Amino acid sequence: MPRRFGPYGGAYVPETLVPALTELERAWRDARSDPKFRSELRRLSTTLGGRPTPLYLAENLTRRGGGARIWLKREDLVHGGAHKFNNALGQGLLARRMGKPRLIAETGAGQHGVATAMIGAALGLSTEVYMGEVDMERQHPNVERMRLLGARVIPVRTGSRTLKDAINAALRDWIASVRTTHYLIGSAVGPHPFPSIVADFQSVIGREIRRQSARSFGRSPDLVVACVGGGSNAIGTFRPLLRTKADLWGVEAGGPRNSAHGAASLSHGAPGILHGSLSYVLQDDDGQVAETQSVSAGLDYPGVGPEHAMLRDSGRVRYLAVRDRDALRAFHWLAEDEGILPALEPAHAVFAAVREAKRRGRGREIVVTLSGRGDKDLEVVLRAGAQ
Amino acid sequence: MAARQGGRGVVVPYVLVDRRRLRDLPATIDALRRGGAAAVELGFPFSDPIADGPVLAAAHDRALRHGTRWRDLLTACRIASERLPVAVMTYANPLWHRGLDASIGALAAAGASGLIVPDLALEEIRPFERSARPRELELVLLAAPGVSADRLATIAHRSRGFLYLVSRYGTTGRTRGSSPVDLTSMVRIARRAAPHLPVLVGFGVRDRASAALALASGADGVIVGSAVEERLARPRGVASLERWLRGIGGAARTVAG
Repeated sequence: MPRRFGPYGGAYVPETLVPALTELERAWRDARSDPKFRSELRRLSTTLGGRPTPLYLAENLTRRGGGARIWLKREDLVHGGAHKFNNALGQGLLARRMGKPRLIAETGAGQHGVATAMIGAALGLSTEVYMGEVDMERQHPNVERMRLLGARVIPVRTGSRTLKDAINAALRDWIASVRTTHYLIGSAVGPHPFPSIVADFQSVIGREIRRQSARSFGRSPDLVVACVGGGSNAIGTFRPLLRTKADLWGVEAGGPRNSAHGAASLSHGAPGILHGSLSYVLQDDDGQVAETQSVSAGLDYPGVGPEHAMLRDSGRVRYLAVRDRDALRAFHWLAEDEGILPALEPAHAVFAAVREAKRRGRGREIVVTLSGRGDKDLEVVLRAGAQ
Repeated sequence: MAARQGGRGVVVPYVLVDRRRLRDLPATIDALRRGGAAAVELGFPFSDPIADGPVLAAAHDRALRHGTRWRDLLTACRIASERLPVAVMTYANPLWHRGLDASIGALAAAGASGLIVPDLALEEIRPFERSARPRELELVLLAAPGVSADRLATIAHRSRGFLYLVSRYGTTGRTRGSSPVDLTSMVRIARRAAPHLPVLVGFGVRDRASAALALASGADGVIVGSAVEERLARPRGVASLERWLRGIGGAARTVAG
């Protein structure tokens, strides 16, 4: 398990957390070569999670694009409505294996919080979820879902009161509770070994895409697009495809029209240390982390997983930013063309794919990871439509 | 920075740099010196202070809202280092973003003699050491509960100036119901690894009783942070600092004696 991705990654954390990170790395090493753990993970992925998810040919959306065929990797159909389940299940099983009776998590859009609450209930682990006050308001349905699933939702009132501050609060809790608690981090961020573990659990997405592409059109895709906040669905999508010929695009949140950087850390940030790892960070001249702006709570984060930082520098993945307005447009396209309400996060990726489809032309195949469903976003979308 | 005190109990207060309080800083440091401070820690506010509890996290937020910048830290260093030895405490990113040579060089030039980075685990210290050593800035390392004996020995061996012993599981400041930590054996291991390195205990030391408890481990002194911040936030807080700090130092000496 690499500690660094090129120069990025590492574990920039208070010493108090080091024993837990070491224990976690050891537990994951053991678990992933343990046939019993793997079969349990596979069994629950299938019977509880609903995997594998289909690769759907979006014919109407393809017509709208007017060129390459657009396929949707339907992670919105995973139990709970997002890819977050894949990682929450894996880490939940790890926590149980380590004998930690309590889970904590951060959540932005609430999807990871919901996934963690579901897993906590299913595995009998008590669950507390930190969520910024701003996000609690704009993603209220997910707050209620977490509560119904038996989790305690703790409002975070510091800083920008969004995902970044929820991670700060969760880290502070973990520093105090580390002996009995597993911090079930929801994205491919944080100190080593989290980025590797999360990417491992999410790589099921890319492996299925590889297999399903071969079955559906006899080869690997020409272009694969995923949205990037912290970057867990994207790294899970990309990793198994790195050695194929597919072009890989990560789409960040460009934010509202008047925002200089939105939440696009790879497009507009600089190397920096945030939440335990070195990666690209939106920050000012003093290295103070910037507040971000995005219509999608799940992308509203000033950092990004360190593996993405390496892939950006190497050029293997191209990262671009899509604005709020265009993501909202793509939301409506998908709703009207295909009868699918996507989450606003992957709507950013859908926009980029539809735009690119024409340029690529007929005979080409584009796969978009549809990382979550949009029920949680109805209020935001309706409000935006009224403006 | 801080000499081994042979159990006499030095007190090192932590003051978060806040642009609005720069004007009061000379008086603040003078009061701390008269109160018996052996050195002062100057904290640089950061947007994401994950090792800090509610009191200091709010103070970081406030200082940034007041427009505190890097140059204010340098000003504070110059003011404080005329009066007491100064260790700067800052999270890693402000140093990293500016470039380690540039930022650490600037701190040394402004009179700082030590540097403490609370989110720097042992595995990541090398580039920071490399920039600090030629500039004669002492990189103070932290050791925390739950650490293995080997790791603690390595940390003590690599630390310069003093060893910062984190006294319990948790962030800075008051916490409820944190379980006791065997500081005594941590101090013993550190001594064996680095016989001449002073050991100071911080996190949760806020008054005579907690200082006495910390020093009963055989440590050389204590670091007081959140409690100083609480005083400074009060009206006429500076005026009360000297007596208050002397009280903590007194407790320390009583225990040690």
